[in-house]
Amino acid sequence: MKTIAKKDVKALLSLWTKDHHVLAPCRTAQGDSIFADFSEESFTLDYKKPPLPPKSVFLPHTEVIFTVENGQFKETVTAHNVVLFGIRSCDMMGILQCTSFMTRDRNDIYYSTKNAVAITVVMACPGPQNETCFCTTTFSGPVAHKGFDLLFYDTGESFIIQTGSKRGDDILMSGPLSDIDNAVARRKIETFTKQAVENIPVVDEITEAMTRLESGNVDEKTWEHFGKKCIACGGCAFVCPTCTCFNVYDHESSPGHGIRARAWDACLYGGFTREASGHNPRATQASRLQRRHEHKLLYYNDADIQGGLCGCVGCGRCSDYCHVRIGTLEVAKALVSN
Amino acid sequence: MTNSINEFEDADLFLVTGSNTTAQHPLIGSRIINAKERGAKLLLIDPRAIQLAQFADLHLRQNIGTDVAVLNGMMNIIIEENLYDRTFVEERTEGFDQLKSVISRYTPRVVERISGISAADLEKAARMYATSDKAMIVYCMGITQHTTGTDNVKSCANLAMLTGHIGRPSTGVNPLRGQNNVQGACDMGALPNVYSGYQPVTDTAVKKKFEDAWGVQILDDKVGLTVTEMMIAVRKEEIKSLYIMGENPMMSDPDTSHIDHALSHLEFLVVQDIFLSETAAKADVVLPAASFAEKGGTFTNTERRVQISKKAVPPPGLARPDWEIICEVSRLAGYAMDYTSPADIMREINTLTPSYAGITYQRLEKSHGIQWPCPNEDHPGTIYLHRDRFTKGRGTFLPCDFKPVAEVPDEEYDFLLTTGRIQYHYHTGTMTRRISILEREAPVPMIEINPEDAKRLGIKNNDMVEITSRRGVIKAGAEVTTRVPRKVVFSTFHFHEAPVNLLTNPAHDPLAKIPEYKGCAVKVRRCV
Repeated sequence: MKTIAKKDVKALLSLWTKDHHVLAPCRTAQGDSIFADFSEESFTLDYKKPPLPPKSVFLPHTEVIFTVENGQFKETVTAHNVVLFGIRSCDMMGILQCTSFMTRDRNDIYYSTKNAVAITVVMACPGPQNETCFCTTTFSGPVAHKGFDLLFYDTGESFIIQTGSKRGDDILMSGPLSDIDNAVARRKIETFTKQAVENIPVVDEITEAMTRLESGNVDEKTWEHFGKKCIACGGCAFVCPTCTCFNVYDHESSPGHGIRARAWDACLYGGFTREASGHNPRATQASRLQRRHEHKLLYYNDADIQGGLCGCVGCGRCSDYCHVRIGTLEVAKALVSN
Repeated sequence: MTNSINEFEDADLFLVTGSNTTAQHPLIGSRIINAKERGAKLLLIDPRAIQLAQFADLHLRQNIGTDVAVLNGMMNIIIEENLYDRTFVEERTEGFDQLKSVISRYTPRVVERISGISAADLEKAARMYATSDKAMIVYCMGITQHTTGTDNVKSCANLAMLTGHIGRPSTGVNPLRGQNNVQGACDMGALPNVYSGYQPVTDTAVKKKFEDAWGVQILDDKVGLTVTEMMIAVRKEEIKSLYIMGENPMMSDPDTSHIDHALSHLEFLVVQDIFLSETAAKADVVLPAASFAEKGGTFTNTERRVQISKKAVPPPGLARPDWEIICEVSRLAGYAMDYTSPADIMREINTLTPSYAGITYQRLEKSHGIQWPCPNEDHPGTIYLHRDRFTKGRGTFLPCDFKPVAEVPDEEYDFLLTTGRIQYHYHTGTMTRRISILEREAPVPMIEINPEDAKRLGIKNNDMVEITSRRGVIKAGAEVTTRVPRKVVFSTFHFHEAPVNLLTNPAHDPLAKIPEYKGCAVKVRRCV
């Protein structure tokens, strides 16, 4: 296996920028860490859970599907040679689940074209990135099991790099890298992983909530409680690594000219399920929340979860960012509390 | 806001009035919901049963336009029961005797007759507010958009001073500003009576300071006109030309027919906007402006926090940032405004505006914003105002008497129409009605009507109803809901299909000149 000194990572990424569009953790002037275009000045290895999952790389917030000029349509499928450096294992699982969903029975070419050329470099987590991490519960971390091209393990002054694909091998052909004996590396990885798993406690309420939902042993008032305070911002869906729902719309700039585009949507919006007649099968905010959480914890597709526990990858972002505290953790805890 | 958004975390009680907080300031509304869960109290004074009503420990549904009476009634009880903060009143305020004499007339019984709020509930409310350690008043347009708007605000301030709920963390009088930069626009002197930082145009020293800075000797020392007054002046042909920026009075001003007539009367109309609004469509010249994402600069939010905003995408076509357009117009008119960037403009603001003196672009680049007043570069900014003294020294009680809405319902126009907004659209819809998901969420104008009124008038959900005032008529779908009390209908000003300001009353507050959007007399019938 290969290793790289932490101080040399910047040089490696710089090298990659020659042929790739490298997205990496960066420190903003205000002191926040975000994922953005790599630059030597802003790049940082001192980062926690990125605020947003990387799904927008494959499913941009807004994306033109086709343009119309003089009444003729032209499909627009775009892709760049992206390297996603330093994503977390939960987000790798998010990508796997999204990719399965977007390609399994029908190939969403706008998504899959981008996904096919992207190189994923996962940074294994030595422990929880904050108090809402529960990847050990959802089998999605702290170390990625598949899908990655490269997997970095932090061993203090350097990283051990595990490759997961030929593309991963290829991109390591050059750079400030050293070799490490495979057996030594494996032992170090094993120690790292064992400690990391111990550091991230399993949240029993998640599995218990799934059992309760399966058996229908759920107090309906729980949904009403959350529905009452949901401000319907849709933020939980936008920060979720496995939410892929989008809305399609047309914009006519002049007769015979325009675009058809798609944009992120959220099942917390009333109009998401409203039918043409005006009837809405999910007429209340409580029922929309129920639908959302059942989708993650009960009605997921076995083929899509990619070895995970369910349709949630345990990143905890919905709990981090919901302004009124209606994340998966809070919902699961409420479901099992009575 | 006298205080800051983070201070919501520690407040013991929120008095929310005239603010549909979860719909219009959802992030602040969320803080109130979270605070409720940790045990804070919520006292809601609002005619409508908004989302926060479900969280309120007490919801007073006053008759529309009776806010002064309700607030006076609370103060009456607080004084009567000796619940006011005697030390604060003695040390920090003046005019208490005058307040007491006016307030004494607003006994719970009197207020009950005026406002419809039972004496018992009013007493509960007064005690809740007065006996809380840290109580924040949170208000919005439901307080200001009345012919008594200034009186309503004064009454909120009186109440806070009487109880000492000001000048400390998690207290204060907190108007929620409705736009990302309306605070900044006011701070920069986009008002007829002040320069930036609220420096009066009538003050000779201030006038001289700005004349020296700008190298001119002709600055007017007379107070100019408000929007409301300008429209009247246009009708009287005292104004022949208007230059309107980022405003859509054809949808947003009361009595649209009057506005339409006024704008059509102009010899020359310039509109600067990011879209061709209803108002821009009437212009002789339209100057295309860049949107927030297409320009750099700063915004000042509701808690007086100045924040930097960077350009994300280039402006389309000929669109340019507002400051560039204004500089160019000025240059062509003979006065060279040669600013090179928003940072360059900020340097001038730092020099001429004492409350912004320490808010430099360099500091903003490295922070999440700075709250004014910030008198120098070493100052961290001000989290809450009036800590040891009020800006003017002692806080003066300015007691007000109740005055009813300008247009009281009668036999023919027997409903009160109150207007507002919904979560999914912003103001006149110039921007949000172009967004497909927002349009899906709220595609058509609706009029809220109470089930009892609806039944009497034979109106069912989604029936088309016709609302008529003395100034106009609109049609929209009915939403039969207990959210509105009886004899009140509610609608929004987002939809050009049913422009509610055709109906509203241009009667306005004598001081602030804000129109009475929150109450005018209308009649309602089902369309056949």
